[in-house]
Amino acid sequence: MPGTVSVLLAKTLTSSTFRLALIAIGTFGVIVSAIFSYVYFSTSSYVRSRWDRAIMTEYASLRSVYDRSGRDGLISLMQQRLADKSFAENVYILADPSLATLAGNLKAWPPTGTAAGGWTEFRAPKPVSTATSPPLLRAMFATLPQGDRLLVGRDISDLDSFTDQIKAAVISSVALIFVLAAVASILVTRRTVGRIESINATSRAIMQSGLDKRIPLRGTHDEWDRVAENLNQMLERIETLMGEIKQVGDNVAHDLRTPLTRMRGRLEKAYHGERAGEADQTLIGDTIADLDAVLRMFASITRIAQIETQARQHAFRTVNLVDIAGEVVELYDAAAEQDDTRLTVAGDREVKMTGDRDLIFDAIANLVDNAIKHGRAGGQVVVSCENIDGTPVVSVADDGPGIPAGEYEHVFKRFYRLERSRYAPGNGLGLSLVAAIARLHAARIEMLDNAPGLRLRLWFSPPES
Amino acid sequence: MTGGHRRILVVEDDPETAGQLAEQLTTSGYRVDLASSGNEALSRGAASDYAVITIDRMLPDIDGITVMRQLRDDGIAAPFLIISALGEVDDKVRGLRAGGDDYLVKPFSFVELLARIEALGRRSDTVVKETILRVGDLAIDLMSRTASRRGKDIALLPREFQLLEYLVRNEGRVVSRAMLLQHVWDLHFDPSTNIIDVYVGRVRRKVDGQQAYPLIHTVRGAGYRLRAPG
Repeated sequence: MPGTVSVLLAKTLTSSTFRLALIAIGTFGVIVSAIFSYVYFSTSSYVRSRWDRAIMTEYASLRSVYDRSGRDGLISLMQQRLADKSFAENVYILADPSLATLAGNLKAWPPTGTAAGGWTEFRAPKPVSTATSPPLLRAMFATLPQGDRLLVGRDISDLDSFTDQIKAAVISSVALIFVLAAVASILVTRRTVGRIESINATSRAIMQSGLDKRIPLRGTHDEWDRVAENLNQMLERIETLMGEIKQVGDNVAHDLRTPLTRMRGRLEKAYHGERAGEADQTLIGDTIADLDAVLRMFASITRIAQIETQARQHAFRTVNLVDIAGEVVELYDAAAEQDDTRLTVAGDREVKMTGDRDLIFDAIANLVDNAIKHGRAGGQVVVSCENIDGTPVVSVADDGPGIPAGEYEHVFKRFYRLERSRYAPGNGLGLSLVAAIARLHAARIEMLDNAPGLRLRLWFSPPES
Repeated sequence: MTGGHRRILVVEDDPETAGQLAEQLTTSGYRVDLASSGNEALSRGAASDYAVITIDRMLPDIDGITVMRQLRDDGIAAPFLIISALGEVDDKVRGLRAGGDDYLVKPFSFVELLARIEALGRRSDTVVKETILRVGDLAIDLMSRTASRRGKDIALLPREFQLLEYLVRNEGRVVSRAMLLQHVWDLHFDPSTNIIDVYVGRVRRKVDGQQAYPLIHTVRGAGYRLRAPG
């Protein structure tokens, strides 16, 4: 698929990883070039200075002959040198003050300008040379005491080709490094872009079709796999929540429709019927009662939502679980008595914990309310507070029919109601409120078979010291 | 009660709600002034002597809590009833801490509002000094925490006594379930079951059982009222 390849390539080239790689390559390249240039310049200047010293030594020996034996002595020495093979690389020229050649292997005095002495580089045909182009020469020249001028130099074409070789080596290795780095960075970027692309593809699929898609893992257990795992877990949680919301939506719709339909029917009947004081009174009273039930349900839902957003932890204080449980039992005492249920507190006398008194009260109240409602008439409900290895625990146990083990997980869902309690009073929000309060307090809920009955335990966190 | 103490300032920005409140409170024998913004509330509240001021938390210009603080700073002693659509316990606590005397969450029933206004209005003009309160043949001793009818002691649990005391202190007035929960149990939530009714039922059996006449009456759709016949 050429289209996909070019898209992937385009993504590779525009990706931030690739840009980072380019920056790294650039920096690295500049450093490498600087090092290599230093090597190049120091090598070539070292070679050049050695040759310059050789020329200076040669000049000095010629000069001393000139000083001792004059122009003729120098000419004869130069002729000896020219005949000697070991001096073949050298060039010499001795000229009189009018620059007419007196001796040497150069045809004419090179263009040195008006300077009395110094260094010069020039190209000139050497008599012994077989090269087609005139070689590059470097020479030192000076004006002798009688006005004669002496130039001593040598062929530096070798030096030139040596430095050229170094230069070529440096340039080609820098180029090679750039190419290798570019290839490596493209490969690394491609890999990164590929992983990100698979995450992006999953995100797009989720946006288009739904939350059931997951990012594929490569099983390499690297950081990419960990990112993918975490994202997948997040998706899992979102999917669960969305499912719950949908479930809640359905249940709200169902549970709200019932009273709303009743209200509508009643009002419609009244609208079409005759006005009758007594009947109207009952009708309006019933309608208000139904409306209150609807509003209460809304209040419960928003309350759970507010607790779940965890905005209340600033209201946390050190509280004694036993006191709160005692107050709950006191409040529900009358309700228990009505059902002929014995409601008692058991356990330790003081169990300190950190939390929100009103919410803990609410949670225990809901558990007790459930226990009384779903327990056995004439049975007993025990609220016990204990300190188990420093962990504050409150449990509410009844001796009623209990809950089938398979339903344990579901009872904390909003509006969930066991089939047999479908028509008992309550809106099915009690336990999800308990679950929300437990989550706010980082408490663990445990459901146990009380044989017979149900025992619900809340394991709170130890109090902050 | 003086004439001035039947005057109520209703601070509410929704004209229909304000109208309903004004109409119903007028029917119940109050003189009602309306203010539809925080600034209006500030000027009206400072100008007259009100028995109760009801104030919405969310006003178009100034926050209800700020208005309340400002009026308190100006030396206005009238009790404030905060009315709000923010129902969380935190909001209630914040409102009460800022100087509110009571808190009501929208939507509310008018009987609930009236019950709370009556309780607040009474609080502002009478301070009960006696230690024994009487309603009909019922006497409750605030010192020994005991109750009796026709001299015969009624055995009450401490919380039951507190409940009876609250009803007696609000003799003749409707007391809602939420008010009982708030004042007797110090709870700011709606238990969404009939727990209060069951509790009141038990107190009622103890207080009214085998007596010449009942004192605790259920007010349909509103709550309870303690009243002697005649």
